[in-house]
Amino acid sequence: MIDRLWFLLPELVMLGGAIACAIVGLSHAAGIRRTLPVIVILTLVAACAASTAVYDASSLESALGEGAVALPWLGRAVIPMVALIGTVLVLVQAGFVDRGYESAVGAGKLRFDPLRSARGEYYAFFLLSLAGLMLTCAAPDLIWLFLALELTSLPTYIMVAIGRSERRSQEAAMKYFFLGAMAAAIFLFGFALLYGATGTMELTAMKDVLVARAAETGSIGSLATLGLLITIIGVGFKLAAAPMHLYAPDVYEGAAAPVTAFIAFVPKAGGAVAIMLLLSITGWAGEGGSLPSAVLVTLWIMSVLTMTLGNIGALLQSNVKRMLAYSSISHSGYILIGIIAGPGAGFAAVLIYLLAYGLGNTATFSVLASLRRGGEEVERIEDLAGLRERQPGLAWVMAISAGSLLGFPPLLGFWGKLLLFIAGVVSGHLVLVIIAGINSGISAWYYLRLVALPLTGSATGSSRAVEGRREVGPRVAGVFACILLIGLPLLLEPMLNEADDAVRDVDAMRSEMTAADDSSEPVG
Amino acid sequence: MMLHGLFMPLVAPGTPAVPLSDVISAPQLSWAGLILLLPLVSLVLCGLCAAFRVRSKLPAVITSAALAGAFVTSVMLYFSYEPPGEVVHLFDWINVSWGSGAIESFSANFSLYIDSLSLLWIMFVTGLGTLITIYASEYMEPDLGKGYSRFFAGVSVFLFAMASLVLSDNLLMLYLGWEGVGFASYWLIGYYYQRPAAVAAAKKAFIVNRIGDIGLALAIYLIWVTFGTVQYDELTTVLQQENWRESFEGWTTSAIPFLLMLAAFGKSAQLPLYVWLPDAMEGPTPVSALIHAATMVTAGIYLVARTYPLFLLEPVSLQVVAWVGGLTALLAATIGMAQYDIKRIMAYSTVSQLGYMFLGLGVLTTYGAAYHVFTHAFFKALLFLTCGAIMHGFAGQLDLRKISGLRHLPGWRITAWTMFIGALCLAGFPLTSGYLSKDVILAETFVTQGPGFRILGWLAIVTAGLTAYYTFRVWFRVCAGPVAFEAGDEYHGDEDHGHTGGFHPHAPRFVINTVLIILAVGALMAALPYFMSNQADERLVGGWVADMVHDSTARQGIPGFHPDDVGHADAGHSTAHGHDDSHAHALILGMDPHIAMYWISGTVGMIGLFFAAWLHLWKRDHADALRRWMLSKLWLGWLPRAMERKWYVDEFYHALIRSPLWILGHIFYAFDRFIIDGIFVDGVARIPRGVARWLQPLQAGAVQSLAVVMAGGAMIILLLMALFMQFGWPGGTA
Repeated sequence: MIDRLWFLLPELVMLGGAIACAIVGLSHAAGIRRTLPVIVILTLVAACAASTAVYDASSLESALGEGAVALPWLGRAVIPMVALIGTVLVLVQAGFVDRGYESAVGAGKLRFDPLRSARGEYYAFFLLSLAGLMLTCAAPDLIWLFLALELTSLPTYIMVAIGRSERRSQEAAMKYFFLGAMAAAIFLFGFALLYGATGTMELTAMKDVLVARAAETGSIGSLATLGLLITIIGVGFKLAAAPMHLYAPDVYEGAAAPVTAFIAFVPKAGGAVAIMLLLSITGWAGEGGSLPSAVLVTLWIMSVLTMTLGNIGALLQSNVKRMLAYSSISHSGYILIGIIAGPGAGFAAVLIYLLAYGLGNTATFSVLASLRRGGEEVERIEDLAGLRERQPGLAWVMAISAGSLLGFPPLLGFWGKLLLFIAGVVSGHLVLVIIAGINSGISAWYYLRLVALPLTGSATGSSRAVEGRREVGPRVAGVFACILLIGLPLLLEPMLNEADDAVRDVDAMRSEMTAADDSSEPVG
Repeated sequence: MMLHGLFMPLVAPGTPAVPLSDVISAPQLSWAGLILLLPLVSLVLCGLCAAFRVRSKLPAVITSAALAGAFVTSVMLYFSYEPPGEVVHLFDWINVSWGSGAIESFSANFSLYIDSLSLLWIMFVTGLGTLITIYASEYMEPDLGKGYSRFFAGVSVFLFAMASLVLSDNLLMLYLGWEGVGFASYWLIGYYYQRPAAVAAAKKAFIVNRIGDIGLALAIYLIWVTFGTVQYDELTTVLQQENWRESFEGWTTSAIPFLLMLAAFGKSAQLPLYVWLPDAMEGPTPVSALIHAATMVTAGIYLVARTYPLFLLEPVSLQVVAWVGGLTALLAATIGMAQYDIKRIMAYSTVSQLGYMFLGLGVLTTYGAAYHVFTHAFFKALLFLTCGAIMHGFAGQLDLRKISGLRHLPGWRITAWTMFIGALCLAGFPLTSGYLSKDVILAETFVTQGPGFRILGWLAIVTAGLTAYYTFRVWFRVCAGPVAFEAGDEYHGDEDHGHTGGFHPHAPRFVINTVLIILAVGALMAALPYFMSNQADERLVGGWVADMVHDSTARQGIPGFHPDDVGHADAGHSTAHGHDDSHAHALILGMDPHIAMYWISGTVGMIGLFFAAWLHLWKRDHADALRRWMLSKLWLGWLPRAMERKWYVDEFYHALIRSPLWILGHIFYAFDRFIIDGIFVDGVARIPRGVARWLQPLQAGAVQSLAVVMAGGAMIILLLMALFMQFGWPGGTA
């Protein structure tokens, strides 16, 4: 068990960073408080370094030993990805929490009161939520998985609330919290059923039981199937997958743009990882294994509904944040294709897609976070018209990131989508991929508006009032993300290799290791 | 395939195809890549000049230096290359395979195919490109600091694309160059983008070319499907198999030449796709000279010569090529006779001469076609540049009725006399280069047997007479006669000069005059290759150009070339013609056609010249009288009218193609507007709104209602799942 703790090193680093943030945020010196984003970035870099040290060939044996994770090497890809997108995300957050309060303190109108300041806590929660996502990848059993998922989500509820002092945000946070709690209750109920059906909490042990049962009776049993179905629907809340997607538009709109960027990616990644791990209990990664048809059909329906409802919803919006909220729902639908396509190519495609989606989504929100219109956030799409005339850089960031989200070659989003679709076709889900293709076509309608309006539109009366914010953080984030969106396709092959490696099943790895041992010790 | 006996058999494997592995990175040819690289560098530099708003002639200097470098490189290549040609591999481009079967791999690299045919082409392309760029440095002066950099950037793009077209070792890279020259042509025709006519002409050129490009794309696809490769050397290897004729029968082999033909006719302005070229004269004159007379429009000839073995697989195709070429030559010549805009006359003469070249290809003399391409490049570039000098000096005046006696004007002597040399060549005056190259084609038309080729031959001879007439009509009107001129519409008062006398033409200066003289000398010297001895094979006739064609895929069209001599065992298909096999030789007027043609075409040319001199030099009023007389006669009046209106082809296309498309477009628009937008989009948008209104109490945004809907949604999904499990599932097998 001590060996297993070693794998928590990145998360421990994150925890340390979170505590440091909480303390530094109380400092009376504004200069020290301003270092908070730097601390976060340093923590993320350290966590990333720790993950490469932890997920090393030398620790392979303990990773595959007692209490192994279903996809033992998942963290190896996910933690660096989280660190990378986390870095971009924290740049987007830079300087926005307590903006009014800090500037009042800076101007000498108010005395700094540690009890009123929320900035330190905000960054601490930021790190804790990311730590939750990292922990989700390493979950060997249901309790761990539940706690990790909640650690991902709970800080986000608070971040929505303290992000800005507006009634809308408080309302959004309350909604988000209550509905999140309901979803947690649902999937916890599913967990309980799964435990009841198998008598164990450990995912790998559960798989052994279910595989043995399937070999005996031909199915994994109705109780386990029902448990799995309820669990998936509940975890769908994290993904914002239908039918648990309804909260997204309200919450995304209510939260401040930087927070929206965060909650549109982190819980979604957590949900995707959790579903990948949960589905492993059906033993479909093993030889001759397949998903119980009820689960497959449910996932299929969820995928179709999610992408279609998301896209149609996005079509009807005139509010950018609501539009991006609906479009992020449709991306969950695409991600579900990869999950349906199954272990191997499908899961690897999901990882690449998450990276592309995370970068593209964060970049679009970074543009919104860099703009203001009379002290308010820019929300209407028309306000972006002619942005190129005053903010050419931001207009290009918007165009590139929207192009990537749409899947415009040669940007990263295109490759992500292509890999998902290929995985879907190869695994025999042609109809699903065709539906996704049609949806992708629909999404062009609203994404191309985001490309065209800022670049080629001419400024209108209301969009002329839009001006850039003082903070450079979001701009740097946007530019950085766009460089990655353009540049990363050049590294597609190593990235794919890494992703393929990360989603290998524990049994496959175990047998590989045994084979390697056998060959290194020739018999007789 | 029943007409096989009439045509020479397909591939004569005299020179075996070079296996790719042997020739990758041939050391002495490895700098061939410079020909592509230099224009590209020049493009980037011109772009930088535009970005930094350079106001000097720097872009012209850069471009001419780059093109001169490319020209020197190609000449050096010519001296270091050895038959049968080599492949210079630049870098891997597309290399995929998904199996080991016949068409389960596709490879098209960025490689250059250096053989005599591509060298012939690249030498005159880069050489003329250099000269015309130098000319343009003075010609484009009024645009200094405005469009100057843009112009030379366009020329660089063109040269890069043309070089990739000519030098590529596979059809895909050729396609890249093909599209590239089309784009460059669009760019440069529309150079004066403020002028609606130029924009319309650019669009027309682009769209008409598109039609041809579809043919090329489909042809490449079919070639790959049929032969399993798009690389020339592999294609040759495949076609040299013993049983090629059995292996490659089927509709694809018949379709390929026709698709390639469509592409060639589009790019080289032949019937029915020639309509874009006369309009393309809206571009600056150096562009007309370089792209729309000397180089790009010969890409179609090059394509056919390059894929000649594929045309020989389907003999009917070459007959079609011959007839289309011959008819285009006649049609364009008749239109050219009745135009007044000298640049347009030159454009129609280009169409007409390109028709001759296709006629040459069709009657199995690739040598004649290639030689005519070569000579035509010189004299037509020269003619265009003199027209450009006139246009430049007379403020855009191009109407031949409004300029006269140019050779008596001070400073215009060089222009007038170089134009005279160009006109002699185009008119086919005996012993000029145009005379020699045209004669080869005319004679072969009588030699080669084919459906109605004799009629075609006489039509081509008539066309030669018409050519002489309209060419000298221009020269006598513009350069001879009494001095008289009017300014063109670009003239807005001459503030620079203190004179009150009105317009003063600006005579061309040193640079333009130098280029004109060089080109005039070149046009005369282009006759020399005809008399040079053959090095490859002494039985060949036709001099140096025949040598250049001989080492390529187009070698079947060489006089005196015997496939049997070089080991082709396909008995029963001996040559249909050749200089020393008398049995196949048809006779005209009791003489060998090659000898007879010297006299016939010389005479016809003189007759045309005489009529031109009568109507446009000695008795100019007779020309108008003749026209009036013809118009007054009911039975004859249609002829001048139709010729002046260009045989109503544009009107015909307008009525038959453009109007239906316009109507169709409006129907689609209405469908989109009222059915798609009105019913579907708005309807779809209305549904959620209606549902929302219905669910208003639930959707008040309150947490409870969202929770209820979510839970309800979960129920619905499980219900759907149960239904699908029961009654089947659209997603496949559950």
